[in-house]
Amino acid sequence: MSDREIIIAWLKRVERRIRTNRLFRELTFGSTLFFIFPLGLKAWDLFSPFRARTLTIFFTLWAVGFGAYLVWRLLQKGTIGQAAASVDTKAELHDEIKTALWFIDNPRSSEWVDTQIRRAARDAQAINLDRLYPRNVPRTSYLAVAMILVFVALNFVPLSWNHNWLTLQAAPAFTLTDKEQAILELTKELLIRAEKLQQSELAKRLEDIIQKLEEGKIDPSQAAELLEDIQNQLGEGNLDLGSINDGLEEIAKDLQQFEKTRATANALMEKELQIAADELRKLAEQLQKNESSKELEQSLQQASENSRPGLEDLTKDLKEAAENLKNRDQQNAQDALQQAAQELEKLQQKMEAQQLKNLAGQQLQSLEQSLRQRQQNGQQSRKDQQQGQPQSAQGEKGQAEQGDSEGSSQQSSLGEEGQADQLSRLPGEAGAAQPGSNEGSGLNPSGQRGGNAPREGAPTELDVKLQAEKLAGMKDQGTKPEDIEEASKQERSRLDYRNVKSELSPAQKDLLNQDRIPWEYRPLIKNYFQAIRPTPGGGGPAGHQQNSSSSRPVGPTPTDKK
Amino acid sequence: MSTAIDQQVETFQEQFKRVREEVSKVIVGYEEIIDGVIMSMLAGGHVLLEGVPGLGKTKLVSTLSDVMRLKFSRIQFTPDLMPADITGTNVVQEDAMGEKFLEFQPGPIFSNIVLADEVNRATPKTQSALLEAMEERSVTVGKRTHKLDSPFFVLATQNPLEMEGTYPLPEAQLDRFFLKLKVDYPTKDSLHTILNRTTKNKEPEVNRVLGQGEVLDMRKTVRAVPIARPVQDYAIRITLATHPRPPFALPMTYKYVRYGSSPRGAQALVIGGKIRALLKNRVHVSCDDVRAVAYGALRHRILLNFEGEAERVDTDTIIKGILESTPEPN
Repeated sequence: MSDREIIIAWLKRVERRIRTNRLFRELTFGSTLFFIFPLGLKAWDLFSPFRARTLTIFFTLWAVGFGAYLVWRLLQKGTIGQAAASVDTKAELHDEIKTALWFIDNPRSSEWVDTQIRRAARDAQAINLDRLYPRNVPRTSYLAVAMILVFVALNFVPLSWNHNWLTLQAAPAFTLTDKEQAILELTKELLIRAEKLQQSELAKRLEDIIQKLEEGKIDPSQAAELLEDIQNQLGEGNLDLGSINDGLEEIAKDLQQFEKTRATANALMEKELQIAADELRKLAEQLQKNESSKELEQSLQQASENSRPGLEDLTKDLKEAAENLKNRDQQNAQDALQQAAQELEKLQQKMEAQQLKNLAGQQLQSLEQSLRQRQQNGQQSRKDQQQGQPQSAQGEKGQAEQGDSEGSSQQSSLGEEGQADQLSRLPGEAGAAQPGSNEGSGLNPSGQRGGNAPREGAPTELDVKLQAEKLAGMKDQGTKPEDIEEASKQERSRLDYRNVKSELSPAQKDLLNQDRIPWEYRPLIKNYFQAIRPTPGGGGPAGHQQNSSSSRPVGPTPTDKK
Repeated sequence: MSTAIDQQVETFQEQFKRVREEVSKVIVGYEEIIDGVIMSMLAGGHVLLEGVPGLGKTKLVSTLSDVMRLKFSRIQFTPDLMPADITGTNVVQEDAMGEKFLEFQPGPIFSNIVLADEVNRATPKTQSALLEAMEERSVTVGKRTHKLDSPFFVLATQNPLEMEGTYPLPEAQLDRFFLKLKVDYPTKDSLHTILNRTTKNKEPEVNRVLGQGEVLDMRKTVRAVPIARPVQDYAIRITLATHPRPPFALPMTYKYVRYGSSPRGAQALVIGGKIRALLKNRVHVSCDDVRAVAYGALRHRILLNFEGEAERVDTDTIIKGILESTPEPN
């Protein structure tokens, strides 16, 4: 091997060693820098959990950036010229290798040059590469490893709100409040029990909807719409329980006339259809003894005349039994009574399922309203934030926190009956709610339950005293709400509303009349415009003069109606 | 395995060492100055020694001439010194027949080593008499040009303090000096040695160790040392950086320098680097070698502007800045 080849080969070795050391140093340093971001994000996540989408975007960008950095550093190759310069500096060779390399690249016929190259080759071979470029572990690598360990440890911090990213967990896009969760569980149980009776899959659909909501695939308003669909489905094919009850009572009255069917009648009156069915079966067994059945025939005949929707099969079986008795066909009469007993059992199941569905529908409606309310509040919160108003909601946690802060209003909107009590009042158990009595648990603007007006929640339970308001058109200063109601309902306003000049500008009126303004915000908006209107003296906004109006209870007043 | 080149380098180092040792017998504490003077001689250049009186500048030159078997002459520059006093003149002579003719009488310049003592005390006209001799190695008197012996080596001294009645050397002449060496005051230890050697009955004697032919051989050796293009490029960049022009000029150069080094400065850097490389037992020039000779080679080639003169900026400061800011080739 010539001197030139020796130098080139040796410089290539040096270049590889320098590159290896450089890569190790740069990659550990880069890793340290890059791991600051996930570590910081994880620390942040402990205070304000991030959603899966955010984390996915972040880690995708992070991985792309880190990968690009790695590729960039890996592709960065040094030259043997740089290696020669490095060796000259480190080994204090005074540009010997660099000069030799230049003469190798630019050959010339000279003894001096040959001597120079020979000397350079000799000196290069004498250099211990491991001593000149030792393989050492950079300090940054310890830091990088420490950061990785801290990152892993942070994922296992035993906090209820901490999510382990290593197991691909992240904060749900939407968090149900405890109340909503309770409603959901109750609804699911109701639906499962109803499904056992009717083989539907609504519980699974409900679970899917909530899962999508938590994953952020749908927003609360979409979830509310889907819940509404389920409610509609629950409503499909509903029995007219009132009519059925009436019909059963009529049948019971007819059956009471005969001694042997009195037990069945009593059971029907009590809506104990299973007992009634058992009684019918006993009656069928008694028919086998060829007892006289004239009275029974008449009784069944009368009962079968009470046919109405939902009871067709039962009355048909009763009629068939009556006819068979009339024809002395004991066997068929017995079969018909058995069929009637089965129909009663089926009816029992249908009615129970119906009640369960009704209850589930109620819960779904509560859940739907809760979600809509939170969506509405979220939008309002965002509007307020855009207007620079301070908000308690922050960042990713926004929705979940909104849910928490709205807990009290949701609680009141769900009614005070207590959701847990609902399970104890399921059909077939003591104190079960009567089907068809769902009037909604919210309050209308006048504070009364039910009705079609939008619900704004129950009145506050705090010990507050609302300020009595003096209404225009009233002689006295009404100190009781009843006075105000009476005045509005029974007396005709003495002021001609057509002559009342509105203080609002046309634009303000248009704004107030827009349908998209929720009705419960209208007084607020009106107060706002009244607060900012010019004072009669030509001054600025009415400001303090209108502050008293802001303490009024929210809701339409007689003046509002004008 | 030792080659002819290795032997040549070894011989060069040995001869250089011998000269240095002989001079050092008399001159104490000026190793760098001695090296610089010998380097200039081997490079075929001239040296301007600057220092206050009494530091041994003249002694150094006379000792060097004693060490080398070369003709030596000394010219004391005074304001009334005429060019002919340096170069020589045509004198009317009478032959055997009684006919008169002009015969050239060579001046003190016709030596191998010329000591131009206090060169800045002569008038510019007289100073310029050295110009042709220093560069062309010849002297023209009347219509005849007389070649000077080789090696021809001028060692000029000047006193930087007594400026009254002096004539600063013109730029053209300054540029002809290979190196400008500053002779500083000796250290305490050096003074002890000087006193020990010069206050006794017996003064140190020097031997003649180098002849004309050896000096010329050493010059050839110096010129044969190869230099890689990147190192040469480094020397050029340093030289260009002395000019207040882009792209290499520093802010300091723009501010204080009127004119930078001529190409002779780059030549001095490279040749001086070659000699230093040989002295360090290398057969290639490194950037360190270039840097080592940069001060001596460039300090008299940088002309300060008014601002530089007013602020008494030292050209060494500018050179230091240039060396620090000029990157080595990769």
